[in-house]
Order: sequence, then C-alpha cells, then structure tokens
Amino acid sequence: MKTRLLCALVCVLCACGTVRKVEPGAVKLGERMTVDIPKAWNHFDFPVAAPAQAQLWTTEGLAIDSLTIYYGLRDSQTLSNQTPQGGKKPLVFKSNMKNEEIAATIEGLLTQDGSTFKTIKFEPANLDGRRGFKLEFEKIRAEDHVQLRGLAYAATDKGELFALVYQAPRLTFYPRQKAQIEAIAASVKIR
Amino acid sequence: MKHFFSRIFLALLLPFFSLFAHAQQASTSGPAPAVSAPAHLAPGFSALPRGAKLTMMPVDVELFLLTMGGVPEPRADWTLAARNHLTHHLRESAKSFDVRISEADEADADEWSEINTLHAAVASAIASHHTGMSTLRLPTKEGKLDWSLAEAVAPIREKTQADYALFVWVRDSYASDERKAAMVMMAMLGVGLIGGIQQGYASLVDLNTGQVVWFSRLISATGDLREREAAGKSVSSLLSGFPVPR
Amino acid sequence: MQRREFVLGGAACCAGLCGTPAWAQALQFTPPERLARPALSTDEGGLWAMMEREERKLRRSPLLVKDPKLTAYLQDLVCRIGGAHCPDIRVYPVRSAAFNASMAPNGMMQIWTGLLLRVDNEAQLAAVLGHEIGHYLQRHTQQRLQDLKSRSAFAQFIGVFGLAGAVGQIAVMGSAFAYARDQEREADQIGAILMSQAGYDVAESATVWRNLITEAKTRDAENPGANSPMFATHPLAPEREDALSKIAKQLPEGRKADAPLLAHTNTFLDEWLGDELRRNQYNESLVLLNRLVDRPGAGTLAQFYRAEAHRLRNEPSDADRALSDYREVVQHRDSPPAAHRGIGLIARDRGQNTQARQSLSRYLELAPDAPDAGFIQSYLAELPS
Repeated sequence: MKTRLLCALVCVLCACGTVRKVEPGAVKLGERMTVDIPKAWNHFDFPVAAPAQAQLWTTEGLAIDSLTIYYGLRDSQTLSNQTPQGGKKPLVFKSNMKNEEIAATIEGLLTQDGSTFKTIKFEPANLDGRRGFKLEFEKIRAEDHVQLRGLAYAATDKGELFALVYQAPRLTFYPRQKAQIEAIAASVKIR
Repeated sequence: MKHFFSRIFLALLLPFFSLFAHAQQASTSGPAPAVSAPAHLAPGFSALPRGAKLTMMPVDVELFLLTMGGVPEPRADWTLAARNHLTHHLRESAKSFDVRISEADEADADEWSEINTLHAAVASAIASHHTGMSTLRLPTKEGKLDWSLAEAVAPIREKTQADYALFVWVRDSYASDERKAAMVMMAMLGVGLIGGIQQGYASLVDLNTGQVVWFSRLISATGDLREREAAGKSVSSLLSGFPVPR
Repeated sequence: MQRREFVLGGAACCAGLCGTPAWAQALQFTPPERLARPALSTDEGGLWAMMEREERKLRRSPLLVKDPKLTAYLQDLVCRIGGAHCPDIRVYPVRSAAFNASMAPNGMMQIWTGLLLRVDNEAQLAAVLGHEIGHYLQRHTQQRLQDLKSRSAFAQFIGVFGLAGAVGQIAVMGSAFAYARDQEREADQIGAILMSQAGYDVAESATVWRNLITEAKTRDAENPGANSPMFATHPLAPEREDALSKIAKQLPEGRKADAPLLAHTNTFLDEWLGDELRRNQYNESLVLLNRLVDRPGAGTLAQFYRAEAHRLRNEPSDADRALSDYREVVQHRDSPPAAHRGIGLIARDRGQNTQARQSLSRYLELAPDAPDAGFIQSYLAELPS
C-alpha cells in the first residue's frame, strides 16, 4: 500500500481537516495577500492538500477542478505537496528566479504526475502592479486521461511568490470559470 | 519506497476508501442487508417526463478477487458475467420505467470517450462530495445535487436523439477461500477484515442541459454479481428511487 | 500451463517460417504456431479478456498517438519481425516520455514515445520489439501470472500492460511483475533471431540497452533500474550486453537502417524533446541529448534542446554551456527560432541589453505567433534603449 497515500487517507477519514466555505468578497490569505472573489468557493483545508503558504480550493470537487493559491511562498519553499522522486529537480521557489523560471517550475508542478503539457499562451500580467505573467495551458491528466485546460498567474514581491494555479476539464468546466479566475487575479492585493 | 501522492488520485479513490468505514462494521458478522445511499435529485427535477427517451450507456463494471493480502485481483471472466447480468436486469427494470429506451453500444463509446471520461470524473466528485463522508461535503453545493456537464453531452444527444442518458458504474470484489478463512480467524481475535465491497453508482443525465438530475450510490457488503439473481438485487437497490414518470 | 520449450528446428516445417536458416537452427529456435485465443474460463482466457478491455481504453485514450503514417510504419516493422504472427499483433504508439514498450498476451503492443525518441535506427527498435515478441511467443507473461498468483501481487500486473497513469506507478507495479532472468535471456535470444531474420544488425541490440543504462546511471549509479518502467519489468542484468554481443557474433551482419526510422521520428522530435525536458530530470536528459546531437537530421534540434536543458537546470556554468550551444544552433538553416530567445534571455539576465534586444527581436521576427510572444515582447519593451 502506498504509505503516504494511506496516511493521507487515514487523515481524511479521521476528519483532521475540513472543507470550508469561502464567502464571496474579500478574502485574506496569510499575512500579505487578499483576493476578491465574485462567487463562493470551497477551501479544502486538509494537511496534505497544499504545501506551506498555499491553499487548495475547488468549486465542483477535486476530481473536477482545483485552484491552488500561493500567498507568499518563501525562498526554497516547495510549490508541491509531493516529495519528488530520486533525481528530479525539486519544485522549489527561489527568490532570484526570473518569471520564465517560475513558469517552468509551475509547468513542472503540473506535469509531476506524468501528465502531458502544452503552452497555449504565455504573456505578461500584473498581480497588484507587480510584474508577473499569465500562463494558459492544456494538459492530459495522467491518472484518468481527462483533458484539462488551465490558467496560472504569478508574480514576486520582496522575494516571495504569489500565484494562482487553476485547472479544470476543457469541456464545460474551464470555460465556465475562466472569467472568474481572471477577475480574481485582477483583484489580488499584496501588502 | 516513496510513492507519488497525487491529490487527484486521492480524489478519485475517495469514493472507494470512504466505504471502508461502512464495510468494517458489516464484514465479519455474516450477510448484512444491502445498504443503499439515498438517491438524490437535482433541484427542480422530480421525475422523468412521460414518454421521454432514455439511452442506456454500456455498463462500466469490474470484478476483483480479494486475495489473502487484501490486494484486489481483476477477474475478466467474472466481469463479463456481471456485465451480462447487470445489463439484463437494467433492461428488465427499464421496461417498467414508462419511457422509451435505447442502448448505446461500444462503438459509440469510442466516439464519446472524452465525454465519458469527463462524466466519470463528475460522478467521482459527486460520490466523494455529495454522497460520501460528511467531512468532504462542498459547502457551496448546500447539500444539493448540483452538477452539470452542460453542452459537453451534445454529441450524445445528437447521435441518440435521446433526452436522458443513464450511466451505471460498479466495482466489486469477492474474497478468496484463503481470505475467508483468514477472516474467520481474525474475527476470533477481534479484528474485522473486509470480505469484499460492492460499490457503484447510477447517474441520470439530462441530455438537453447536461445536468446530473438523479444520482444513486450503492454500498453493499453482499450480492454476488456473478449470479443472475443477486445481480438483480443489486440493480434493484441501485435503481431504488429512480425517478419514473408519475 | 506447459512451459514452451525451445523447439529444435530442422525437419519440421513450422508455420510461416519454413526453411529456417542454418544459423537459426544452430541457436535452436523455431517460432511456435500462431497463438489461439484461450477459453474464457481459464486463467489465460481471463487475462485475454482483461487485455481486450485495456486495449479498448487505449484506443479511446487521448494519449494514443493517432498519426496514421507513424502507426503504419511501426505496424509494418512489427510485421516483418513477427513473421507469421504479424496478423495477431496490434501496435499502439503512446505519448509518454519514458522508455517503454510492452506486449500483452493478446497481441496488443504499446510503444512509448520515450522509446521512439531514444532509438537511433530501425535495428535498435527491432531489437526491443523483437524482445517483446519473444516474451509473447514464449508465453512468459502467463508464466509470471502463475507465479504471481501465489504471491497475491497479481493486481499490480494489469497496469503494466494497460495504459497506466503515473510512470511512478508502473515502475512500482512492474517490479512486482518483472520477468525472471531466464525469461529475459530467452526473450533476448529470440529477439536477436527475429531481428536477424528481418535483416538487422544484432549488435545494435547491445547498443540500445547500453545507452539506456548509461542514462539511468546518471540518476542512480547504484541502482540504475529504479523508477524506470522498462527496467522494472525487464530487470537489469549486467551480463545482458555481453550476452547479446556474443549472440550477435554468431549471426550474420545486417543493416542498421537509420534513415527509414528517422524519416518517421524526426518530425516528432520537437514534441518529444519538449516532453523529455518536462520530466524535470535534466541530468538524464543531458546524457540523452549529448547522444542525439550526432543524430542525422536531428542534430540542430537536439543541440537546441541541450541548450534549453542547461538553461533550465541553471547550475554553475550552465548558462555558458547553453549560450555556446545556442550560438552554434542559430547558424544553421533549420535553427528553431527559440534559440534566439535563449540567447536573449541569458543576455538580459547579464544586463547585456544590446544583445538581449537583438536576439529577442529576432525571435519575434521569426516566430510572431509563438505562444510566449506576448511575454517576450514585454521584455523587449522594458529593455532600456
């Protein structure tokens, strides 16, 4: 039995976590980040769900869509909630990373399970005036071969990473939420 | 050895593992009655319209042998038998639905593979977050069965000219003789071993809107799908509460 | 289930391969008759039906490479190697970056794009495919099944031949399933004979494994097979290369046939090398890329990706290594426009604004519709004039 998975499941089964409602309006994340969300979301508040300085949200359930928000990831902290297997470059953020390196790291995050990846568009975007990027992508999820589309926004400030990474099936679900993700990105405030 | 823990893998397995809590109670005390999670209806939907056209998708079933170590071993011959029995009983049940029935075949399933893959993910989400453990409920859904594939189902609607589609998914495992012997022994030591779990869902999708209008979860510790009669009981259980026209 | 023994060649005229050459007889192999579908109620029959369902899933999967030209080419190659068994074998190229090929007992053969990327010529591909066909002809998979049943690890087997998800899962499952040493040896020998009969140079079979091992050792010198789907199911034997070289010496020389293979695989190189880099295993990728830069018709692209691998790995001196490669690449007619991007990005990092502007502009001129055009344009706009 996969030990980590079992531990994670035991954790879920023993209810050492919960799914919280995130009400529409201003949401404070950590010490430095606020977003304004037009509709309610579900925050999957379990220890294994996201790494430090990040939260995992969903609208329809994790098998369908997910939004990971990084609210001030520090130098050398990892973007991933998984341990990389031997030989892989770990998916960590470094304060001196350039935007294209952060994008490559996010790409690594999205393909660490063996999923395929294709960049649709990679362009500059601001998060609260900080020069960052917007990455639109397509991927085929390795586990069940669902074809996903996604949007990632990222920028750094004072050596910390602020990012949104959203993915959903390209049929129905991504088109449904795309505008909202863009609106949330536009609403980001960083202190 | 360290393995990848994938949150999606977790999400997809949640429906399966959430059943261990149920099954643990039932497993060692002999046959228990089939327990069906309550059927759910989408808001605003109460019954199929009379004369509606319903297409039945090929049943997605897998049967396993549960070996000594508790590892499920796929058995294709059992699966084939189960598929035949389930399909037979679904057809029989469908006669009493008072709707027009058609059946989609495997060739169609090839064409609709992306839609079926998507539906499986949606059903998994419903199973985890709607009918599964309460800790996993999504507050935004407010306890309602509110999932829709929207226009993604259009190709099915166009090809079949049907108004609704019924998807049935079943997984079941049966203990080997060694496993059964071990279960008896362990029971004497006060340890409950799982003898095999049957789980499944039936999902009714409105092909005009893509809405999952009815979803039924099956959790049962008994019922041998390799046997025609028992398979019939499981189908009855699965379809209990099916929103027949009034 | 009876073990299928090597059958003495000679007088008996075998199905489809009459007139077996003397050297094949010397190695004492005659392919068995075409394998009949077993009764459903038997273990083998159950396996077969299970495989059929996996095959259906494979056919429906977005990971299947649906290129008719590539598929036809691979099917033809398999047919030439498989001889009389050709009608029973169906080839499926699958988009996955690791080196892997597998053949299920029902004749379904998967070839991953990671493998197609790594073979230099038809002979090398024929070696791997011949090896898999060897397992198939000798029913090794069914034998493993018999063994595994008693160890209750059977369930992991299905993922090895099905379209399993994460590569990591296959490596784990595969090692539970793994072929035994003597089965590996048999498959090597049969593969060698089959590829030789098809006219290929058997010495290439040693080469393909050697290349794989070299790459794998980069990750883990002590345990190079760890986490490789191929090595999980086909355990690494140190004597394999030598054994294959010895067999090669007993067989007539054959052709390598690089041109026909590369004519079919070079068109996919850009996509497959992109997938390779995305594995995030730059050290291994570099071992591969160092080999590929010498491949006819692929050198420029391979060198470009080598530059990218260095730039992304970003260890000390990597930027210089990358620059060196990019600068050579841009001089070629078939240079990818992104080579200019590479030079531009490094120049920008170093504050070499003139160079940055020159190279990034050149990139946008050559590839105005690139997915990252917007991003690069913004870099250009903010460079001081």
